[in-house]
Amino acid sequence: MTRAAALAAAASLAIAIPGTVRADDDARAWIERMSRALAEESYSGEFEVESAGKAETLRIVHRVRDGRIEERLTSLSAGGREIVRNGDEVIAYLPDQKLAIIEHRRDRSGLLGRMPRFGPEVERWYEIVLEGRMAALNGRYAMQVAVRPRDGYRFGHRLWIDEATGMPVKAELSGADGRPLERMRFTSLELRDDIADAELDPGFDRRRFRWVRQVAQPAPGAADWSVPSPPPGFRLSASAIQDMVGTPAPVSHLVFSDGLVSVSLFIRAAAPGEKLPVGAGRAGSASALSTIVNGYQVTAIGEVPSSTLEALAKGLHRAPDGRR
Amino acid sequence: MTDTIKEQLSAFLDGELPEAETTLLLKRLERDDDLKGTLSRYSLIGAALRADGEVTAARHVANRVRAAIAIEPALPATAARDFAARWLRPIAGLGIAAGVAAATLLVVPQLNPAPGSAAPQFAQEMAPAAVPAVAALEAPALDEPAPAYTTPPAPAGGGPLAGAQFAAYLVAHSEFISPLARRTVIVAPPAESPVEAQAEAQAPAATTPDEEGEAR
Repeated sequence: MTRAAALAAAASLAIAIPGTVRADDDARAWIERMSRALAEESYSGEFEVESAGKAETLRIVHRVRDGRIEERLTSLSAGGREIVRNGDEVIAYLPDQKLAIIEHRRDRSGLLGRMPRFGPEVERWYEIVLEGRMAALNGRYAMQVAVRPRDGYRFGHRLWIDEATGMPVKAELSGADGRPLERMRFTSLELRDDIADAELDPGFDRRRFRWVRQVAQPAPGAADWSVPSPPPGFRLSASAIQDMVGTPAPVSHLVFSDGLVSVSLFIRAAAPGEKLPVGAGRAGSASALSTIVNGYQVTAIGEVPSSTLEALAKGLHRAPDGRR
Repeated sequence: MTDTIKEQLSAFLDGELPEAETTLLLKRLERDDDLKGTLSRYSLIGAALRADGEVTAARHVANRVRAAIAIEPALPATAARDFAARWLRPIAGLGIAAGVAAATLLVVPQLNPAPGSAAPQFAQEMAPAAVPAVAALEAPALDEPAPAYTTPPAPAGGGPLAGAQFAAYLVAHSEFISPLARRTVIVAPPAESPVEAQAEAQAPAATTPDEEGEAR
């Protein structure tokens, strides 16, 4: 299989050495190439995610056929959770809960979600640098690309992109001080044209699962809520009203993006007599925060520092008459 | 073997050895069987990456390491400790349904209460079955302060966000995660939590998909 025909960029990178700073089109081209490879290639592999002193191993099978993305993610650690995508339907299986959450995607962007589009907007908040071309153990080379935040409202990213295929073999999330917070790396990865249907099926008996479908209704502005003064660079990029597991009433879902990463705000009213939980935590590369605004529970989730989540969540305003 | 060489090997396995040094190291590997052995020990070989006819110097390293991606050493303990502020402790273990850079890595955590506010309640609300897993997987230095970034104090009162609800939020959020950061962990909700029971009773959109019709 010949992959990805030689990149025009590659030739010019061959002499790049680590530490060389080249804030240039090449770095952007590599990230875009990675995004395309993740979306368009068919592959299977295992990867490890390390954070907070622990590591988890996951397996991914990703198949693209006739433009349709099918994907299965399996935790190889305890619990056996899986996420299976078939076209625009995503099912999260929580076998220890006998629970399956079904969600329909509103767009066709696939599991990849939004592709980053670099331009003046994004690069006002991030510096994108090709740091070098590194030899990897497998006899290949990886392009090391850094996405460095220009302020404290964002995390930094570093990616090692396989030169031949464009696949990310390693990725790191780092805090404002540059120290790594989380690291992902593939321990095996194979581009394949022969992925069988069976490899995309959940690996357990689903007969006793409880199925819950989450339906999102696009709702511009999610009705009554707005954030008049979001953190620099963040703007409302999507909104919906959604029925969700674990909540008795529909939830307003607002998405804010700085062009590269997104923060979701989930807003819901308390059930009669319910004491709304608050707190903070982390989930992989995401931070999460729950707080109370105007008597509503607001949960912010995003791959940003908690201070950014807090600024968005606490900046929410609700128009008393339902208009903004 | 000198420490310098070991450091070079380690950097090499990390993919972080500059090219010039890589060339030297590879030459040395060709004629130094001990070094080759050390390299093999340093590396855990995963399944093979398909070799696409890429001919590079690294191919000479050793047959044993051909076409594999190394598993690197764990993050330095300090980084892990820094990351694990005590009230941000991940409720690990309860497994991960995840995705990566390639996909949506979904892990559903519990939201921990603020320090000193509702810890007993939190502990109590954890499903007993989940406790051993949590204890086993927690980072060792959870009491260390200083997360790597500033986190706001959580408001007082209240308990953890219910796991099922949080899982649902993460699934919804995952649509918008950038490919750069698509690693969001989902820890299982506590079994039979009150909130989940509520979900079962009231979720308005609960349904059984056709293809799973035999499920009920």
